[in-house]
Amino acid sequence: MLDILKDLIYSSGAVSLTGGNLVMWLVSFVLLYLAIKKQYEPLLLLPIAFGILIVNLPLTFLMEPEHGLVWFFYHYGIELDIIPPLIFLGLGAMIDFGPLIANPKTLLLGAGAQAGLYVTFFAAVLFGFDLQEAASIAIIGGADGPTTIFLTSKLAPHLLGATAVSAYAYMALVPIIQPPMMKLLTTEHERKIVMGKLRPVSKLQRICFPIVTAMAIMLMVPTAAPLISMLMLGNLFKESGVVERLSKAASNELMNIVTIFLGLSVGATMTAGTFLSPKVLFIFFLGLFAFIVSTGAGLIMAKVMNLFLKDKINPLIGAAGVSAVPMAARCVHKVGSEANRRNYLLMHAMGPNVAGVIGTVVAAAILLKNLG
Amino acid sequence: METDWSKVMEVFTTGIIGVFVVMILLQILTQLSTRVIDFVENLGKGEGSSPEPKSPTAPSKD
Repeated sequence: MLDILKDLIYSSGAVSLTGGNLVMWLVSFVLLYLAIKKQYEPLLLLPIAFGILIVNLPLTFLMEPEHGLVWFFYHYGIELDIIPPLIFLGLGAMIDFGPLIANPKTLLLGAGAQAGLYVTFFAAVLFGFDLQEAASIAIIGGADGPTTIFLTSKLAPHLLGATAVSAYAYMALVPIIQPPMMKLLTTEHERKIVMGKLRPVSKLQRICFPIVTAMAIMLMVPTAAPLISMLMLGNLFKESGVVERLSKAASNELMNIVTIFLGLSVGATMTAGTFLSPKVLFIFFLGLFAFIVSTGAGLIMAKVMNLFLKDKINPLIGAAGVSAVPMAARCVHKVGSEANRRNYLLMHAMGPNVAGVIGTVVAAAILLKNLG
Repeated sequence: METDWSKVMEVFTTGIIGVFVVMILLQILTQLSTRVIDFVENLGKGEGSSPEPKSPTAPSKD
């Protein structure tokens, strides 16, 4: 009887617990709190937090290559690049490119915000990260979770958990991080600029946009194909109006299913051994830096454009160039309406916001081409 | 490990320039395609429309 009891105790995970495991439990509980209580990106933070918890329970071997349950999700979903493109398919079925088609020059704002990403790349190298790691950290500035996961899984898979959590955490913190930067880099007068109504966009223009964009980007940057093709296919589902079932499936059921596996797999990469190092923790600081610099770059780009434009744009919309759809656009609208109650910037900010999604994919694809 | 600064500069410059080139080309293509579609749609409207018959119930000045 005693032997059975002894055997039970020694075969349990409790005796193999390390201090690192306990710290990771704490990280998991903090993320669970943020997801459930504060509702910060709960759709992703909740499965990520649970993934962290279960993978830091000893002897479960959930991430054991070729054996662990979560390892199969991770291997087939992320290592083989299945999940991020599927998320983009759903995203495409939800995105309205109308404001971008109505005002195509906002594409430049989506490009401007990516400049911040390359500044962070440079900074990360200065802080001692190798080039692949620096690129994976810099892409956090794009505030695009699936693209961050896509690039990191190819360039620096050991940083996947840190970069993904960092990207999603800062996306959730857009309303806190962006407004001070917006107010710092714009004058009261600039924030008051009222933009005219967007021109109407016809159905044919909406249908042609994903086709033209997919062809153009994939011809210029073939490494962007997995993400951009799925994004534009999803959008074509939506805009064509003839495959409503597929559009709904992509944006609801499929999106929800892959989100579960994505969150769980990303969380499961965060074992105490891989996560608890000063280098990894420093990523959170650099991720924040990337996000702030990208916001600033978008704002400066808008101000530069105003030097040449006859009809001035409100430079606040440049901040929406960091992707993070639609939080960044909402944030721009809020700050703009605080300066001028007549200002309705939401639709104007959606242009650079969706341009930011395209811009981040292009930036990631160029990084992948150069460093992959 | 020694940092390859020439590679860093290459990634930095080609990255920034590359993103801008792609987005500017996309802007031009979007503008061009929307203008062509506008033109075709306006042409279609012009051909399809005929002088409207005077409505018998329309208010008249006299």
